[in-house]
Amino acid sequence: MSLTPEIIALLLLDAVFLLFGGIAFVLSAGIAWRWRSNETTELQYALHRRSYLVSVIINYIFMLKIPLFAFFIYTCDKLSAIITGAMCASGVVNSVDFGLYLTLFKIVNLYVFGFWLLLNDADMNDEKLPFTRLKFILFILFFIPLCVEIGLEIGFFTSLNVSKIVSCCGTLFSASSTSSISLLFSVDEKIWMMIFYGCFALSVAAYASRSPLASVVSNLLLALFALIALILFFSPYVYELPTHHCPFCLLQKEYFYVGYLLYALLFSGTFYAAAGGVLDLVQKRYTKRFYRLSLFFNTVYVIGISLYPLSYYLRNGVWL
Amino acid sequence: MLANINVLLLDYALGSLKRQGGKSIFIFLVLCLLIFLLASVLMIADAIKFELNTTLKTLPQITLQRFVAGRQTNVSVERVDTILALNGVERAIPRVWGYYYFKPAGVNFSIVGIDAYEEPYKKRLSELTRTFDLSTLEKEGGMIVGEGVQNVLRENYYSDFFNFITPKGERYPLKIAGVFHSDIALESNDLMLVPKQAAYTIFGMPPEEATDIVVHVSNPVEIPTIVQKITERYPDLRAITQDDLRISYQNIFDYKSGFFLSLFIVCVFAFFIVIYDKASGLSSEERREIGILKALGWRMSDIVHAKFYESFVMALSAFLTGFCAALFFVYVLQAPLLRSVFIGYSELKPPFRLPFSVDVKMIVLLFFLSVPVYIAATLIPSWKAASLDADEVMR
Repeated sequence: MSLTPEIIALLLLDAVFLLFGGIAFVLSAGIAWRWRSNETTELQYALHRRSYLVSVIINYIFMLKIPLFAFFIYTCDKLSAIITGAMCASGVVNSVDFGLYLTLFKIVNLYVFGFWLLLNDADMNDEKLPFTRLKFILFILFFIPLCVEIGLEIGFFTSLNVSKIVSCCGTLFSASSTSSISLLFSVDEKIWMMIFYGCFALSVAAYASRSPLASVVSNLLLALFALIALILFFSPYVYELPTHHCPFCLLQKEYFYVGYLLYALLFSGTFYAAAGGVLDLVQKRYTKRFYRLSLFFNTVYVIGISLYPLSYYLRNGVWL
Repeated sequence: MLANINVLLLDYALGSLKRQGGKSIFIFLVLCLLIFLLASVLMIADAIKFELNTTLKTLPQITLQRFVAGRQTNVSVERVDTILALNGVERAIPRVWGYYYFKPAGVNFSIVGIDAYEEPYKKRLSELTRTFDLSTLEKEGGMIVGEGVQNVLRENYYSDFFNFITPKGERYPLKIAGVFHSDIALESNDLMLVPKQAAYTIFGMPPEEATDIVVHVSNPVEIPTIVQKITERYPDLRAITQDDLRISYQNIFDYKSGFFLSLFIVCVFAFFIVIYDKASGLSSEERREIGILKALGWRMSDIVHAKFYESFVMALSAFLTGFCAALFFVYVLQAPLLRSVFIGYSELKPPFRLPFSVDVKMIVLLFFLSVPVYIAATLIPSWKAASLDADEVMR
């Protein structure tokens, strides 16, 4: 284990999250257990006050988690300079068995907490407070992935071995690797590309049809296939190297940190439609704002990522 | 909730900070001091690492040292020919160098033997040797010294020559033929360049041996292969490559600043408790204020919002002040006291300047280590304040 300042910062904030998340968890359990929206007792007022504290805490955690996610990836990128064999964050992330799960949990938690905040907003802006019990039951459930993530992160940094030789992203994201990702390589990358554009078309269609359910499904599919298409089809055009498929190298200086922008667009685009859609399903209504935002971010992402192969083709006259 | 900024609330928060006066200033100063300390340490570590990495590029690609019973000893010069015969090796140069302890000043000089007919192993050395005529140096028994060395010698009344004491106990005088200035001060401040023959005499080394061998490889990609070949042929040689050095620098400095940071965390927790306490203890004035606001129709969220703005403004301004103070302290004042934590015991203490190296990453790191912790400490107290009942407070 090496205690670089970055790791200490991440662990310190993890400790803060765990402390406050724990407080919020205990409060939520109490609220979910005793909340009666039609009673006007002293207890209900106290519970309402506490519910406000929980939402403040979750707001705090979420607002920090977004920049911290980027910071985590950056820390891994920096560690790749000391760990033999690693050339970008992916080597470091994969140097520990559960590194990939940690990253996935981080992304999932962002979606989940973002959704919770949307639900909270909807609840607070309604004078009947219709979702109070629901949101605290949900938080009790969401607290588990948060703890798992923090546990994994602590485990990740403790078991990070500086002298171990790890694989570079060139081998991790290639057809020859033995990881699950190599399965995807057996399918022609053009097909993935078409599925990706298909999903985008679906999400646009869902927007046009004003159906929350279709938006949720199409955007979740879009998030998944956008990542696969990014790894298999688009990344070689970004790197201008036919064999390089790493989704992490996008975040490096050599490519003008374009990954941070691309991922932010993709995640916020799919998040608004998916989380907003679920919220609309619960509320049985249609909030146009979510889908408009989603469509905007998704479209910018699709245009941005499509420019890479197009400009490559225009300059060189061939596809990779 | 926290995403959209309400300017009027922000204005109210600023006013409230002003009204609290003394209490705010106390917290502000402590927070500033903490951030200042942390920022200084990280900046010093980064600056030294930057300096060392610049030096690193001028160091030989491979250095071969001979180890006997785990201690470094001299290596025989014959081996140079064997190493030169390896494919891919462009140059292999035996070096004679070492430290000379100068007791009156309690310092170690680095003595490096140079040869007029041998190509120097470092670019900077070759620049030096070009400006000074080495063959006359050899004939007349002179040496070239770094600025720091010159100062130390002058303090001890050696203004134009220096008497070395050889291991046999004899005096061996060398003239100071020249003084050089180098843009990278760390490596050259304590340097004495002497003719190779003189170096052998000063160290009392047999002439068929060398301190170590440096190897230059024409294709840097081949370095690992060549290292492997050499260490297979001579298992008692240890090869140190530029990459090894780079990694160990990074590790050392990450470790040093990490160590400091671990101690710092204790301070942060103490600070956390102080803030929590300070923020919880509302004066009757403040309680009445909140009561009035609530009676006027402010919701809990408005008050929490205002409190959040208060703590955010406080944390951010303390962060900026502390950071700027650290910039001034480290790069203008050259970090008195603190930098000795990193530079260590070396007695010649080269008075080098810390090169300016601050990047966005460090600012982000500092931000994460300070501002969120402060805001976290005020979360619960401000909620507590906001949940006061209007009638209860104003009664």
